[in-house]
Order: sequence, then structure tokens, then C-alpha cells
Amino acid sequence: MSLVEARNLVKRYTADGPKAVDNVSFEIRDGEIFSLLGPNGAGKTTTISMLSTLIRPTAGTALVNGYDIRTEPMAVRRSIGVVPQDLALYGKLSGRENLRFWGEMRGLGGPALWEEIDEKLALMDLTDRAGDRAETYSGGMKRRLNLAIGMLGNPPLMMLDEPTVGIDPQSRRHILDYVRELNRAGAGTLYTTHYMEEAQELSDRIGIIDRGTLIALGTLQELTQMVGEHEMLRLQLYQPEAGQALVDGVRGLEGMHQASAADGEVVLSVAAVETTLPQVLTKAADLGLSIRNVEIREPNLETVFLHLTGRALRD
Amino acid sequence: MPKVVTLALKEVKLSVRDVGAMVTMLVTPLVLTMAIAAAFGTGTGGLSNVPLLVLNQDDGQMSRFVWEALTAQNVEDLLAAEMVYDEADARARVEGDAAAALVIIPRGFSDRVVPVVGRVREVLGIDLLSLDAESAEALPEEVQEEIGRLVLESREPDADAVVVEIYASPNWRISAGVVRGIVTQVLEQMSMTAQGTTIIIEELIARGAPGPEAGEGGAEWFPGVADGGFESLADRELPVRVEIVSPTGRGFRWLDYSATSMAILFLMFAVTAGGRTLLAERQAGTLSRLLVSPTPAVAILAGKMGGIVVTGLMQVLVLWGATTLVGSYWGAPLGVVAAIVVLVLCASGVGALISAWAQDVGQAGTIGTAVTLVGSAVSGTFFPRWNLPAWVQNLSLATPNAWGIEIFSALQMGRGLDGILPLLGGALGLTILYYVVALIGFRRQFA
Ligand SMILES: Nc1ncnc2c1ncn2[C@@H]1O[C@H](COP(=O)(O)OP(=O)(O)OP(=O)(O)O)[C@@H](O)[C@H]1O
Ligand SMILES: [Mg+2]
Repeated sequence: MSLVEARNLVKRYTADGPKAVDNVSFEIRDGEIFSLLGPNGAGKTTTISMLSTLIRPTAGTALVNGYDIRTEPMAVRRSIGVVPQDLALYGKLSGRENLRFWGEMRGLGGPALWEEIDEKLALMDLTDRAGDRAETYSGGMKRRLNLAIGMLGNPPLMMLDEPTVGIDPQSRRHILDYVRELNRAGAGTLYTTHYMEEAQELSDRIGIIDRGTLIALGTLQELTQMVGEHEMLRLQLYQPEAGQALVDGVRGLEGMHQASAADGEVVLSVAAVETTLPQVLTKAADLGLSIRNVEIREPNLETVFLHLTGRALRD
Repeated sequence: MPKVVTLALKEVKLSVRDVGAMVTMLVTPLVLTMAIAAAFGTGTGGLSNVPLLVLNQDDGQMSRFVWEALTAQNVEDLLAAEMVYDEADARARVEGDAAAALVIIPRGFSDRVVPVVGRVREVLGIDLLSLDAESAEALPEEVQEEIGRLVLESREPDADAVVVEIYASPNWRISAGVVRGIVTQVLEQMSMTAQGTTIIIEELIARGAPGPEAGEGGAEWFPGVADGGFESLADRELPVRVEIVSPTGRGFRWLDYSATSMAILFLMFAVTAGGRTLLAERQAGTLSRLLVSPTPAVAILAGKMGGIVVTGLMQVLVLWGATTLVGSYWGAPLGVVAAIVVLVLCASGVGALISAWAQDVGQAGTIGTAVTLVGSAVSGTFFPRWNLPAWVQNLSLATPNAWGIEIFSALQMGRGLDGILPLLGGALGLTILYYVVALIGFRRQFA
């Protein structure tokens, strides 16, 4: 049985509004880590919210652990652990009290729950501060507590919505390691992120979502093959504001597949670096721009995204 | 543990740990009640020129002391006393709030206060009050004897006391208390005078009047002295009572009134803040997390409201205890407990209503404060409710504050639990109405 079977999910937040999620279908197989990778506003949270029964789909449905999200929401909720993108903790309760409260909300209790709380606290490196109010925790500690709460009861399917947003590298490492450890213990995971490195590192399979649509789906290898022979060039200019001018200038060049500018960087997808790069540099010189740094990348998820959308993942 | 209980306990824990909430719930109302106790403890704070009518039906001289006391220099600014002669007209003026109270000095007042004085004047034409030891001794012996006889006669205790009635407007309740204080003081002074008179007579006996061994004339009345007859006259309580009567028959103390109305006001602050936490949880994401846990939405709401009710109960119980310590009276315990339970439920309905219909925490805060303050003002929290125009009084019955004030006033004037049942029913009806409208809002928001 697959953990998730999403069939043509659609969500409009208002009757005549745009589709936040548009006809999304995918499957998460037993024991798999499945990542939804997409930029801000792509529809990741909306998808997780539908799958976790927080909101109802406008059309389509999904089976989660075999239960229909439309007709059996309680059974779905009992079978999943959700870690929301926004911290959902009670600051005035201690870490331990938070775990206890949310554990009881999951229907857990008694000595088994106490034991599990101690175990989760140790795992998340929070034992020392377990008695302090959560409002006194650092950002990374709050994230870790947020994650620990979602994992109470060791459900067979975890839904993690950007669990590493805005934290220090150390806490991030901690969380990624733990997700993998959980997976080894047998839990399936739906993981959303807009960091391609995370998706690349963690996932068995990846769905790339953009503007509500699932534009690609497969293993890392399958996805990068889609790009074919293309390589990625990343240029930093001394004149970050002139990125778009350079993009316009290089668009017609031979072997140029995609070009986009974001965050003062110009990202190009090209057939062959050796022939195209010199032309790009000449073009930049013509425009009076000076290049600070050039990076050549093997095909990766970012290349894939650029290849598919013509935009960089970060905008 | 059922999830609703877990949810409610969480609610209580969160509000107890919130310093701001604790200040609003307990510290502020206590300080305010103390301040009111300090201001009105003497009974005269904040009053001046209280219009007072005095109707004198007494034909003796003692009543003039009452009038003098009510017009004395030390109360000159406080009371504006006016002598009246038409009882019906005077009562009408009180009922129409043109005067705070009418003091009625009844017929026979003087004779009752110092009975012997009236008798002696009647029989011998002598004013005992103007006698001192020397002038008494100078009286002819048979007159002295006669006085002694009259004293003994009049020491027979009278069956019923006369009543000085203070007919007080309910809208000037504090004033009624002040007037009663003054009248009582006058009567105490008279009691002293009565004792003084007795002492004079005792002295007559000691100095000149015949003793038991001295002859027949004395023998008639001296035994009374031996039995302590004069002392008993001196110790006797004045056969006069002061009663405050008002058109509605209630007694009133500002300290009691404000202790309970302040408690309800701050209960309202607490429950509207509690209702606000539902919206705060929605904004903080904990509500979503609750909704994706296997907990029915109804249990989440019930837990929230249950927590608010438990917190409110604790708050009002603590305020009851604390204000009782500073001297306020809430009513018979059983009735007070029932009233607290019903009023907390009713107030929590307002909290539910606001959280069900407000858009966000900020809006709920503004609405909560406005509803609490306006509701308190129109129901008469800061001044006696009965001073408000009738239509405002009726309109304010849409607030828990008004029901609270009605219920506690009834308890404070001595009604028991059975006496407030209709009022409790009214408040419960309002509670149900609040919750029905709140549920409609919740359905709309969380459908
Ligand atoms: N409650 C809502 N009401 C209306 N529109 C919404 C609501 N929530 C999300 N949207 C819209 O739906 C789209 C998808 O949003 P969603 O939160 O699912 O994106 P996301 O992929 O999770 O983005 P992010 O990486 O920023 O979290 C966006 O255009 C967003 O503006
Ligand atoms: Mg999101």
C-alpha cells in the first residue's frame, strides 16, 4: 500500500480566486522520503494542509495511509505526524509540558508517553532545557521542539513542512540527520522545502512544484537527466542591478538554453560551457559590466528548475 | 484524561502564567475595591448638600435635639435639612428623587426617649432636664417625693419601642446610611441625657429625701432604689429604633455594591481576553496543529471555553474571599456560589461571541475592551444602577454585568438562593443566546 496517493488535487482559497494548487497527483511509497521542492508560494503548504485534513480540497482527493482525506479525516489524523512550517508551540509551557500536551492531543498518555517524551527530548538535544518555558528557547531549539512534537507516537507517515527554515546550520544538520534516522526506522516522509540541497540530500523521489502545478517528478537521477546535456553557469556581477541587462544580451547566443537573473546573480543553462562562456564574457564587456565570479555546475535540481521554468528557484 | 480536560487545564495554566492577565484578573479589582472601601468606609466620602426632609410629629422637646443634630455645624456642608409638615407630600418628594431621605420623628418620641421627663412635666409642670442637683434640692419636699414616685412609675419597661423612620430614595443610598448614622448618634446622646436625669434624681434621694427608715412617705418609693430601680432606668436601652425604609425595601452599601460589580467588570476583562486566545492560537498556528490532531473541533472549542470558565471561577472566588476580608458582603454563601457559576458561564458566552466573530486578535481586543467598558457603564458599575433611566436599565440586560448587579443586589439585601432563581434563569437564558450566536460564527469561520 502506498502512504499517499494524491489524485488531481485542486485548491482555490476563494471561489473565483486563482488555483493555489492545480491538479496535483503523486504517490508516496512505503518507507520513502518524498520531497516537494518549490519556491515561495508554489503551493507546498497548501498541499500538506489538504493531505493532513486541515483544509478541504476544492476538487480531487487523496488517500493517506489508505484513508480518504475527504471522508475519513479522523483516521487520517490518527495515522500521521505533522510538523507545520510555522512554529506551533505554547511559549508559556515548558518543552516537556508542550510534548505532554500535544502527546495527549494525539491520544497518547501514561508511562509510555513519559518515556517517549524523555527519548524525544534527548534525541533533539533538549533535555537540559526541558523544564524551561519554550518562549525562552533559541530559534533552533524551538524548531527542534516543533519537530519533536510532530513525531510523537512515531506515526507511519510524517509530513514536514519546511522544518529547517531560518535556523543555524547546526540545528539544520541535526534535523536532517533525524529525518533520515526516522526513515531508517521505517517511517515514510513527505518533506517540503525550497532548498534544493535538502531535497537532493534527503529524498528518494522529488516532486518539483511551481505555481500550484507539479512540473516534474522522479528520482534525482531521473530529474537531472531531463536537462540532458545542459550545464549550469552561475555569474556574479560587480553591478548586481545589471543582471537582467546581461540576461537580455545573452539570450540569443548559440548553445544558450535558459537565462535568468536573481539576487544579483545570473544563472545560465548552456549546452557547452567551453563555447558559450567566452561569448558571455564578451557580451558582458560590451555592456560595460565586470564579472566578479563564475561558477560552473553539474546538472542539479536548480538546473532542472531553470530548465523547466526559465526562472531560478530562488525568485 | 479526556482531551477536553487536557485542553481546559492547558488554558488555565497559560492564563495563570500570564502576568498581565493575573494583574487584570486579580490585582486591579482588588486595589480598586480597597480604594473604594477607603473612600466610602466613613460613609461620607464624596457627598455634599444632600437634600433631607425632617417631619416632626413629636409633641415633646426631645425631638428638637434630632433637628439640631441634623443641622449642626459639623454636618452643615453634608446635609441640607428642611423641616416639612405634610407627610404625603414629603414621601412623594423622596420618591421623585427630589430629596434623598425623609426622617420621620414619630408621635410620643420624647416620652419614649426619656419617659419620666414627660410625666413630670405633665403632672408637676417641671422640666426635669433643666434641673441640676442644687435646684432640685431646693424644690419643696412633697414635690421631690412626687418626682420620685413618677420616676418609679415610668421605669416600667414599655412594650414597644417607637420607630424613627428614614424613608430613603434608592437612588441616594449612600446618603441614607449617613442620615441614619447621624440620627443614631443623636439618640445615643439622648441616652446620656436620660442617664444624667437619673443621676440627678438619685442625688435627690441621697441628700434629702426620706430613706426607708425615715418614714412612710419615703417607704413608698425607696424600695425601688434599693432594688436598683434607678440604675435599671439608667442602663435601659432607648426604646427607639431607627429604620431605613425605601420605596423598594432594600438596604444598600456602596462597598458591597462596588465589590461585586467590580468583580464582574474584571471577570469580563478576563473572559474576553480568554476568548481572544482562540484567535491568537489561530494566528500562532497552534489551532491548526490542534485541528490536525485527532481531536474533534467541538472538543477544542469546549476545552477552550471550559478553561475560560474555570479561570473565571477561580478569579471571582478569590475576589469574593479578598473583598470579604476588607469588609464587603456578597450575600448568603449558597446564593453567591450559584450566582458566580451562572455569571461566569454568562460572561464566557461574551468571550465566545467575540472570538467567533472578530477577524483577528487586535480586533477582538478592541471589541472586548469596548464591550466590557460600555457594558459596565450602562449596567451601572461605577454608580448605582437605579440612577440610570429605565430604558438604559432594560437595554443593559443584554450584558452579564447588569444581571450580575441585579443578582448580587438581591443577595446583598438578604434574599437567598430561591429568591434569585428567576434572575439566574434570566442570566442563563442570555448565556444560551450568546453561545448560539457564537456557534453560528464558529461554523462560519471553521467550516
Ligand atoms: N489562506 C489563504 N488564503 C488565500 N490564499 C492563500 C492562503 N494560503 C495560501 N494562499 C496562496 O496560495 C498560494 C500557495 O501558497 P502556499 O502557502 O501553499 O505556498 P508554499 O509553497 O507553502 O510557499 P512558502 O514556501 O512560502 O511556504 C500562494 O499564492 C498563497 O498566496
Ligand atoms: Mg509553505
